[in-house]
Amino acid sequence: MTTAGSQITSPAQLEVPLVAPPAGGRRRSLKLTPGRIAVYAALTVLAIIVLYPMLWLFLSTFKPSSEFGQNQGLLPESPTIDNYLKVIEGIGGIPLWRFFSNSLLLAVAAVVGTLFSSSLAAYAFARIRFKGAGIFFAAMIGTLLLPFHVIILPQYIMFQRLDLVDTFWPLIIPKFLATEAFFVFLMVQFIRNIPRDMDEAARIDGAGHLRIFMSIILPLIKPALITSAIFTFIWTWNDFLGPLIYLTSPENYPLPIALRLYNDQTSTSDYGATIAISFVALLPVLLFFLVFQRFLVDGVATQGLKG
Amino acid sequence: MTTPTETPTTTVARDLPSSATPRQPRPASGSSRPGRSKQAASETRAGYSFLLPWMIGFLGLTIGPMLFSLYLAFTRYNIFTPPQWIGFDNFVRMFTEDQQFLQSVQVTLVYVLVGTPIKLAAALGVALLLNAVSKGSGFFRSAFYAPSLIGASVGVAIVWRAMFNSDGPVDAGLSAIGINIGGWVGNVALVLPMMILLAVWQFGAPMVIFLAGLKQIPRELYEAAQVDGAGKVRQFRSVTLPMLSSVIFFNLLLETINAFQVFASAYIISNGSGGPAGQTNFYTLYLYKRAFGDGQMGYASAMAWVLLVVVAIIAFIMFRTSKSWVHYAGDNR
Amino acid sequence: MFTTRKRRAGIVLAATVSAAVALTGCSGGGSPEPGATFDPEAEVTLDFAFWGNDVRADLYNEALAAFNEEYPNITVNVSFLGFPEFWEARQVEAAGGNLPDVMQFDYSYLRQYSENGLLLPLDDYLGGIIDTEGFEQNILDIGVVNDQTTAIPAGTNAWGMYTNPQLAEESGAPLYEGGGSWEDYNDYLIEASAAASANGVYGGADWTGRIQNFELHKRAQGENLFTDEGEPNFTQEEVAEFFALGDEIRSEGGSVPGQQLEEIYPLSAFDSARAVTELTWDNFGAGYLGNLGEGYTELGLVAPPTAEEGSQDLYLKPSMLHAISAGTDHPEAAATLVDFLVNAPETAEAFGTNRGLPASQTQLDALSLEGLDAQIQEYEDSIADRLGDAPPVPVVGYGAIEEEWRQIGLELGLGTLTPEEGAERFFTEMEVVLNS
Repeated sequence: MTTAGSQITSPAQLEVPLVAPPAGGRRRSLKLTPGRIAVYAALTVLAIIVLYPMLWLFLSTFKPSSEFGQNQGLLPESPTIDNYLKVIEGIGGIPLWRFFSNSLLLAVAAVVGTLFSSSLAAYAFARIRFKGAGIFFAAMIGTLLLPFHVIILPQYIMFQRLDLVDTFWPLIIPKFLATEAFFVFLMVQFIRNIPRDMDEAARIDGAGHLRIFMSIILPLIKPALITSAIFTFIWTWNDFLGPLIYLTSPENYPLPIALRLYNDQTSTSDYGATIAISFVALLPVLLFFLVFQRFLVDGVATQGLKG
Repeated sequence: MTTPTETPTTTVARDLPSSATPRQPRPASGSSRPGRSKQAASETRAGYSFLLPWMIGFLGLTIGPMLFSLYLAFTRYNIFTPPQWIGFDNFVRMFTEDQQFLQSVQVTLVYVLVGTPIKLAAALGVALLLNAVSKGSGFFRSAFYAPSLIGASVGVAIVWRAMFNSDGPVDAGLSAIGINIGGWVGNVALVLPMMILLAVWQFGAPMVIFLAGLKQIPRELYEAAQVDGAGKVRQFRSVTLPMLSSVIFFNLLLETINAFQVFASAYIISNGSGGPAGQTNFYTLYLYKRAFGDGQMGYASAMAWVLLVVVAIIAFIMFRTSKSWVHYAGDNR
Repeated sequence: MFTTRKRRAGIVLAATVSAAVALTGCSGGGSPEPGATFDPEAEVTLDFAFWGNDVRADLYNEALAAFNEEYPNITVNVSFLGFPEFWEARQVEAAGGNLPDVMQFDYSYLRQYSENGLLLPLDDYLGGIIDTEGFEQNILDIGVVNDQTTAIPAGTNAWGMYTNPQLAEESGAPLYEGGGSWEDYNDYLIEASAAASANGVYGGADWTGRIQNFELHKRAQGENLFTDEGEPNFTQEEVAEFFALGDEIRSEGGSVPGQQLEEIYPLSAFDSARAVTELTWDNFGAGYLGNLGEGYTELGLVAPPTAEEGSQDLYLKPSMLHAISAGTDHPEAAATLVDFLVNAPETAEAFGTNRGLPASQTQLDALSLEGLDAQIQEYEDSIADRLGDAPPVPVVGYGAIEEEWRQIGLELGLGTLTPEEGAERFFTEMEVVLNS
């Protein structure tokens, strides 16, 4: 390894020893210091504020439809589980689980596709010097800037000519082709933040880009991968416009479309059922988040350092 | 897959005060040496291989529709009959005749300039608090992310209106401390603040990204700083901020872009109308109404490209200025 | 630099041309063979799209099951969405030349789709596959655009006034008995609101915020909103004067305050039990009862005020039509389905009045109406003298024009616009929409 200290010229520099100090074991004690109590108090107050509307939403799933507009309070006046019973019945002869499995299929495929394609592209942008990289990077950022609504039409025509309308392909293929620049850019930021020493050492050992990517970079950007997985899953789960345009058979509808089917402004709108199904639809994403957010606890820092 | 066991400590530490580190000149392109150009060619090959899926998506799915919308920006196109070339008429109309356009620019700018900083500050603040505790952090993380899970469903519209109605929790809470401004929902002056607070409430995405960034900071740096006698504030300034700068930059840029394109929340809250009195008629919602409500796809495309150019300029400025404050541990050699 | 720019222009041009070809090359086709009948042996699959909620989906399932008993060879794939999403999806499909074979259709979009050749002319099937026995000629004429029948009405409705007698009694407001002049109605609104606003109840909402009430004023003078050529039949001053008719009720607290209307969204003042009367389409009653909840069991349905006694200011409008895509591969089978939907007693039995009162007498006879449904039929009978000929099929973009009017109405209530400013904005917007 190269010597380091000589390059620091700032007065604000930190005298960091070349060898990390012995890891301090359980550095974080569970003792409640005044500082820690303050942090918990702040978090609790904030959590109450943030969760209150969620609680309101949850309790209103027990309001009969007629209470919407007449009872704005937190508690239902005449609580009922009819909304849930109605939702479980399904819509127009299509069982509820069908909408769930469609959503799940789309979301899982999107996670796999996005992680695969975005990490590859991000590695290229962050670590490989090649001709045209700058232009392509700018083009990628550019795709973030155009409102989606004006490109729906030509995209629809393309997929229609490929005879893929009313299949899941128009919703899945783009994910495998890294069309969501958000994730590419996110991973670029994380990869650029990884010191180069390790891949350079590996290069000297004769490793190619694929090996460096697989065995050094991917493990080190685990927090970014987890984050991307969480967001892709949730955003796909909630996506409305894409499925609206590409899917025509109700058997293929994912949940966001299904949950609007209780509302029709030209006849009756069942707001009770709408909110109940919104909540039922929330459970899988909540579960997904609860499971995956754990991985955010152990980022690379600890994993990479304690051999 | 092997897990790297070696610490990157040395380099990271060395790069820490990045703004103060004199930048080393990049190695010259070095095409004079035959070995170099061969290596450059192989790098280019590798680069394009890694970029292949993105490239297929870009050329196959994205660039065509984008260019088509650029063409439409210079046409009158109602979806049903072929586009008709009208030159710059759409742009002229936008800036000289269309009062609704000018109003939508105004509310969008307020939304971006006020909402984005508040949302990012909330996200960063909560992420730092979460990072400081270990016990129960899973619960709090989930609690703070929960509002972002529901996206923009009809339920959000119903609950958010209920919170801000006359005698709703917000009105009641403010009245309790002596502020009697009544309900926000039908108050033309308070609808925009209400929309901004909705965006702030759903601060989960940038928070999670901040958290991920915080987790990427090697703990050794803090330990080293402690050994060095640095207090919490000093640690924050000389370890956390520089190491997090790449993620701060990401969130700042992306949240700005997203705020300019805010659509779903305004659509559900106003039922697609942009009301009351145009206070939720944000740029993209207005564009959408023109495109699909009134069949003016040409005009909507022109609007989209004006937005693209404006946001591109902002993004360019951000990238340029980022060089002075964003630090990448992997970029300095 | 110059060369790259040139090359880029080339790419744009290529993309443009190919996309333009894609856009224009797909519509048309599927011209009917005169006098054709449907071959019941052929295996056919039809796509059918409608807007509606879960309740309507079940009703269609029932009707289509009956259809398949009669025509086992026709498989019908249904697709349904809420109203705005339905039209968004259709617009994208129309651009791609890929509309469903059979569609539930709305009056306000009929002209746009017909004039662009997206709907199959049905004249050759009328009296053949599509039975017209049960239809009055003036009802069939509702679906005629530029001398071609492109849609068949499934149900009709008329403008009317719902009242809530129970709410009136509880809140101490008097009840409007219907008819009278608009000045009478204004007086009523002020009186009723004064009596009941202490209980949070008002006489009604500001009626100048609905373009239909303006249309009634125009028709009372013997004119429609738009000419046969699609030109507006009114001036900006007329609109401003009309908006000003509501100044009195707005300033004297005679109508539900604008802020409250915003707060109770997505409900209206009437179905959240804050207004005793509401001017609206007569088939909205079931929805109102549903949203009002079990506390309210009956509604009144009376005639709206009129600007000219003895005029024919009301008319029957199709609440819903059925149309066939011009691009369908199976026009005969599609016509068979449309016939079943508008004529078969089985369909009527399944739907009741969910689609409005059935437009065909055959279907109407199949129903034994009771409760609210019977009230609607009685109402339409009672206004027979006020029913005139339907206006020409609404202009392209009428839905957007109607919505703009409603938005301006809300702003009048919030006090952010004066009647003159409202009229000016309406005219600006209308011209944009009409010229797009």
